[in-house]
Amino acid sequence: MERKLQITFFALSLLALALILAAGWQANTPSWKTYQRDYLQLEAQGEPNEVTKAAVLATPPEIHQVLLPGLQRVDRCTTCHLGVEDPTMKDAPEPFRYHAGLGPHVPSRFGCTICHGGQGLATDKEGAHGNVAFWPNPLLSKDYIRASCGRCHKEGEVPGVPELTEGRRLFETQGCRGCHKLNGVGGSIGPDLTGEGANRRSPEWLEKHFLAPNAVSAGSAMPNFHFIKEQARDLTYYMLSLTNEEMGSYFSSVRLIPSAEYGRQLFVEKNCIACHAIGGVGAKTAPDLLGVIKRHSTEWLDEQLVNPELVYPGSAMPEYDLETNARKALVAYLASATPEDAQLILSKKTRTMTPEDVAIEAGKQDFARFGCVGCHGTELQGGVANPNAQGGEVPSLLHVSDDYTKDEVIGIIRNGRVPPLDNAAGPAPPLYMPSWKHVLSDEDINRIADYLWSKQQKQKDAW
Amino acid sequence: MNLIREIWQSIVRRDPLSTDKGKSELVFLNVWLHIHPAKVKKENMKFRHTFYLGFITFFLFLILLTTGIALMVYYRPYPPQAYQDMKDLQFVVFMGPFLRNMHRWAAHGMVICVFLHMCRVFYTGSYKKPRQFNWVIGVLLLLLTLGLSFTGYLLPWDQLAYWAITVGTNIGSYAPLIGGQVRELLLGGHSVGEGALIRFYVLHVAVLPALMILLTIVHFWRVRKDGGLSRPIWKLKPKTEALVTIGAPAASAPLQAAAASKEKTYGLMEVVTGKPIFETVTPEEEEDSVFSYPYAFVREAVVLMATVTTVMTMSLLLNAPLEELANPAKTPNPAKAPWYFLGLQELVSHSALLGGVVAPALMVLALLAIPYLDRNPSRRLGDRKMILLLFSIFVFANLALIVVGTFFRGPGWALIPPWVHVVGGAE
Repeated sequence: MERKLQITFFALSLLALALILAAGWQANTPSWKTYQRDYLQLEAQGEPNEVTKAAVLATPPEIHQVLLPGLQRVDRCTTCHLGVEDPTMKDAPEPFRYHAGLGPHVPSRFGCTICHGGQGLATDKEGAHGNVAFWPNPLLSKDYIRASCGRCHKEGEVPGVPELTEGRRLFETQGCRGCHKLNGVGGSIGPDLTGEGANRRSPEWLEKHFLAPNAVSAGSAMPNFHFIKEQARDLTYYMLSLTNEEMGSYFSSVRLIPSAEYGRQLFVEKNCIACHAIGGVGAKTAPDLLGVIKRHSTEWLDEQLVNPELVYPGSAMPEYDLETNARKALVAYLASATPEDAQLILSKKTRTMTPEDVAIEAGKQDFARFGCVGCHGTELQGGVANPNAQGGEVPSLLHVSDDYTKDEVIGIIRNGRVPPLDNAAGPAPPLYMPSWKHVLSDEDINRIADYLWSKQQKQKDAW
Repeated sequence: MNLIREIWQSIVRRDPLSTDKGKSELVFLNVWLHIHPAKVKKENMKFRHTFYLGFITFFLFLILLTTGIALMVYYRPYPPQAYQDMKDLQFVVFMGPFLRNMHRWAAHGMVICVFLHMCRVFYTGSYKKPRQFNWVIGVLLLLLTLGLSFTGYLLPWDQLAYWAITVGTNIGSYAPLIGGQVRELLLGGHSVGEGALIRFYVLHVAVLPALMILLTIVHFWRVRKDGGLSRPIWKLKPKTEALVTIGAPAASAPLQAAAASKEKTYGLMEVVTGKPIFETVTPEEEEDSVFSYPYAFVREAVVLMATVTTVMTMSLLLNAPLEELANPAKTPNPAKAPWYFLGLQELVSHSALLGGVVAPALMVLALLAIPYLDRNPSRRLGDRKMILLLFSIFVFANLALIVVGTFFRGPGWALIPPWVHVVGGAE
């Protein structure tokens, strides 16, 4: 018995030792070391002599990583994707191939996962590509990868990705905010979309959802907007670009792409035409801007936009507090600005408006911007299905003055309203009027009411 | 050469192990080993008496201490770095997954072994006089084990951790009057967040282990001072004998006492009057004893290595779970507490106050009071049918609730058998 116990003890001790060695062996032979050995072989092929070849092959294996501390990201992709910044590897087999066409977005500064998704921390293929349980961002497929541009380039246009601009425009004009919050603004009937791009929803799911909300999520309260395929794709792009990571401020210098289109947008937005003219078209208060880039260097123009008084003592031009790339965009626009374009800008500006018109226009903007159009329609026609609400759909607002006074309508906007039930025993209808008093100022609400009244069809004529 | 021998002698200070004196001195001249008696009863070392469950629990605790200290080197207790450190352990720390797996599996194993150990002690009636208070300490050690496991559960800062702790602390908040405050004190806020993580970390790596070590020492010390392990139930004397008086004869029967003094006791430095508080040993049992070295030690060493190799094997084959980064805005459905609290969560799903507060409080109180409520002095199974039945029902009910909570509860805490696949609820 005692002898047996001693033997058991030694046997178990040996087993423990073997297990530790097995764990050590397992830890010491990760797949990335194999990839690095293969890559060194590939590199050594190009070496002219045996000495340098041997030196390359003798490189010790190590984990490569790109640290992005501001984003809490660590990308270890380059541990295996070793040739990603080496143009001589442009014909190498994956995972060693050179990544062409990156422009300024070099992996050593940006990492990989910002655009591609996947799990940067991982050092094995399945884990890194993120096709594993409990990783919400697997690699984006080729079809959708350009959506990632919008994670940093949140404003202006991204060249080559019109889907993003269009998706953003659809979001803001179709009334999505009526139900969905984005960056703190919007309703709460649907889910908050602020970090939607970081949720584990496949692009395919999103696209199907936009085409027919009920097809992928049964019982969804979201109305079918009858988007066409391209619009669904645009919105999917926009959704994928939504992230609550601080990309914009981390890469603040690159948030805007200094395109001439964006410059024009700024030119309109800042109302430059109110003082300047282009080729004689516009105001005469300030210098004509036609050919201004020939008269001054870009540095001078940039300086001027930062601090007009410093460059041009006594200048009346305000400081606009523009970002570097916004200034570049303006200069880019000025290089291509024509009197015809100025005329176009001016024609939209110069329509004379009474103060009432201004209020109604502002009300219309609010009506679209805060998402009322999502349910009540861009033409106030209503008609979005809302099962078990009286009438079975969201009411049209074209005849609201027949049933309510203006004050009553203002009250409903302020406090919200649950629609009366069609069948009192049935389930509550999915859509309801949210309370807006904490979102909109009284002034905004009054303007929206003004807008609604301006649109009332004179029902009384029909009597 | 003489100098080396002298140095060695100054360290061990005992006779050679070939002598009986040397064997006993090995035990009581050594601070680490003197918790053992010099000699132990052969019968007590039988595997089928204790299954060595107390030892296994203790060895698992040692594994947890060593792997835990190693893990502390790689861990930052604030979100979201805590989660990133888990990923680093998984992907870049040498043998990191093995280390974390060992810690996780040993922790689960310890909860199970504490439970089994208590069952063994109960079924053999070993909590009875004179060991009542050591049972109480045992119950406190059980609570500390659960506390350590629970606080450790949050540290990976993944969805599993976050929601298990949210649910777990919510159960506690059902206590009337103080529940909410206790929860707030524990979490350092109204919900699980940075404050909760640092508090749980401090509890997990400092406060609770310190208490654990302290109470373990007391537990072991009392095992020894209560007369070593209880006799196996198959060695119980036919009927309970009155404890005997040693030394000065009692007033009524001055000469009778001499006969009783055949029974010898350990631990008395001098002959004193009064009853010994510990179990006494008859000369026959004395004959039946062997030196702790090597007989007890080799058995313990085998159990130690068996425990270590089991944990290591599991750690090589099974990876500890790690879900997504904790996300307070995304509640899993159903959100479940750690498995050993799922019985409680099951009760809570029926009644928050009864299941979450009254039942567990009564359970702990009942466990603590068992040795004082059970007045039956006999340890023989045949004499304890009623209480054995009651305890078995208690154990079975607990296990059944945990099984139901773990395997039979689906989204919305609906009763769904594990073999039915539920299609994930897309919104």
